[in-house]
Amino acid sequence: MATMAPPRRNDERERYPNIPTADNRLPGVRDYEQVDRDVIATLSPTLGWFAALAVAIFCLLIGASAWTYQIHEGLGAAGYHPPVMWGVYIVTFVFWVGIGHAGTLISAILYLFRAGFRTTIYRAAEAMTVFAVMTAGLFPILHLGRPWKFFWLIPYPNWRLIWPNPKSPLVWDVFAILTYLTVSATFFYVGLIPDIAVLRDQERNPIRKRIFAVLALGWRNSDREWRHFTRAYLFLAAFATPLVLSVHSVVSFDFAMALTPGWHATIFPPYFVAGAIFSGIGMVFTIIIPLRKFFKLEHMVTINDLDAAAKLCLFTSMVVGLAYITEFQVAWLSGNAVEQEYFWNRVFGQWWWAAWIMLICNMVLPLSLFSQKLRRNTSWLFILSIFINIGMWFERFVIVIPSLSHEFEPWQWGSYAPTWVDYAILLGSFGWFFMWFLLFIRQLPVMAISEVKEIIAPKMRHAAVGHHHLTHGDVAEPRVTGTIRPAGGTH
Amino acid sequence: MQGVLGAFAEIDATVEAIQDLRKKNFRDITVYTPTPRHELEDALDAPKSGVRRFTLIGGLLGVTFGYWVAIWISDYWPLVVGGKPVASWIPYTIIGFELMVLFGSLSTVFGMFALSRIPRLTMTVGYDPRFSHGDYGIWVVAGPDRVVEATDVLRRHGALEVRNER
Repeated sequence: MATMAPPRRNDERERYPNIPTADNRLPGVRDYEQVDRDVIATLSPTLGWFAALAVAIFCLLIGASAWTYQIHEGLGAAGYHPPVMWGVYIVTFVFWVGIGHAGTLISAILYLFRAGFRTTIYRAAEAMTVFAVMTAGLFPILHLGRPWKFFWLIPYPNWRLIWPNPKSPLVWDVFAILTYLTVSATFFYVGLIPDIAVLRDQERNPIRKRIFAVLALGWRNSDREWRHFTRAYLFLAAFATPLVLSVHSVVSFDFAMALTPGWHATIFPPYFVAGAIFSGIGMVFTIIIPLRKFFKLEHMVTINDLDAAAKLCLFTSMVVGLAYITEFQVAWLSGNAVEQEYFWNRVFGQWWWAAWIMLICNMVLPLSLFSQKLRRNTSWLFILSIFINIGMWFERFVIVIPSLSHEFEPWQWGSYAPTWVDYAILLGSFGWFFMWFLLFIRQLPVMAISEVKEIIAPKMRHAAVGHHHLTHGDVAEPRVTGTIRPAGGTH
Repeated sequence: MQGVLGAFAEIDATVEAIQDLRKKNFRDITVYTPTPRHELEDALDAPKSGVRRFTLIGGLLGVTFGYWVAIWISDYWPLVVGGKPVASWIPYTIIGFELMVLFGSLSTVFGMFALSRIPRLTMTVGYDPRFSHGDYGIWVVAGPDRVVEATDVLRRHGALEVRNER
């Protein structure tokens, strides 16, 4: 929660040097009314939006047709070939779960750390999380021979009296992914309630007004509601923070619990979590940069915010790079011939090109972000984010495929080639994800209206210097700056 | 419920009006604000939110249920491997943790809804759409004998509009 007037004491300035005041955070936003106007303006559909939605739905239909074909033909249609029985679907599953990490990182972890740059980007990132986890959740089902039996993994009283094995990483996955989906969707919706109330109050179309009224649950912006809301939001953030770290750790256990060379390593949980956050931030750039351009939100999602997010991207890239190097080093020092052979094979074997795509996209190219000029160049950030998405997909490819195709005994070695069904379903997953995201940006605010208002200086009758009466409708000069109070029940 | 609703454009005027109303012994005050602000909270001197109790209880129930369901499943169909204990608490911590987060989060939201009295089907008296837009509102419950006094306080502090509602 922001606070008004008290001019910042010098000691405060020294204690919190990195917390900018409202007017240097968003100099282009003058008052609360402008926030409503600018964000609500993003909700009217345009031709470009319809075209993008049509493309997304077309891609989805391609994927759905391929899946129908696969159900009819059996899993053999998807390029599985012994010994590689985890293919593109598991690669893509891990990819989308990873994408789903940045939203909650930005909305929950950066919230607890009071990182101001999150305010304008977190709503879009959170939506991205929910839709990415929804996409990821499809892949374990696509990967099943009998997808209609997927619910057998959930422990529930059933007439067969069969229960899943709670020591199996696949069962942990079910708990982790479903919890993550539920909690991030809840966090997303709770944060949306005050903003939907703004839409309800501003909407003129009676049908849409009624829909917003139902979704806003009768929210009235009263002090009592805000008091409980800010507490609940804080606790949800506190729960979501370790949850973010746990989910990709659990996904990494799918690999690390197996004895397969290249997988059976204790470095996997932190390595996966760092990779997930890195890929998620990559996708945030892919989404946010066009969004701020097409919706003309450059004055809200400022270049300073993108610069700060780019620093986070650079940091996670270096963590991921360190993990890559550590993996090689551990194999080298292990004295284990199979492990050494595997890592040699990773960079110089059949899939050398995939490993080098991974290393260049994830480790080398992001180093360009050391340059402030490039961090503030949106075109470069967007291009780099595409490379990061590609690099992170190939990271999972490099983890899954070469390990399975090159296990302990030479007679177990094999090859793998994805078929058109794999590629069509991969394309379909992007269609599915972007369809939801495009629907979201035209129905609900892409920016947290009430939180952006928190960092705007409120209208004041008594200015810090002299007295000035400000009548309603006047432009509020933010002479007295709202500062972010770093402690207490912030929202 | 009868009372007076005042709309303010400025936050300091709102804070002063709240302080004045409290000084004059008006106890049932509701403040509307487009975004949460510490100074309004301080002026109202509201008690701490009780949401935390829901969070604690939900989290404890979740973690207990998580461990319990995993142990119960193991005992129901024992898979003895290498003579090791059938129930292994280390992997079950994952299930315990996930369910703690799940139950804790859902009960937090439930607590917030219950304490904020939402979902609410009607907006009741004393609300104006401008309070989500940019203005602050003060709704004071005042009987017929004190309506004039409350109206006077709100006007004196520069309310844009004051109206009686019932």
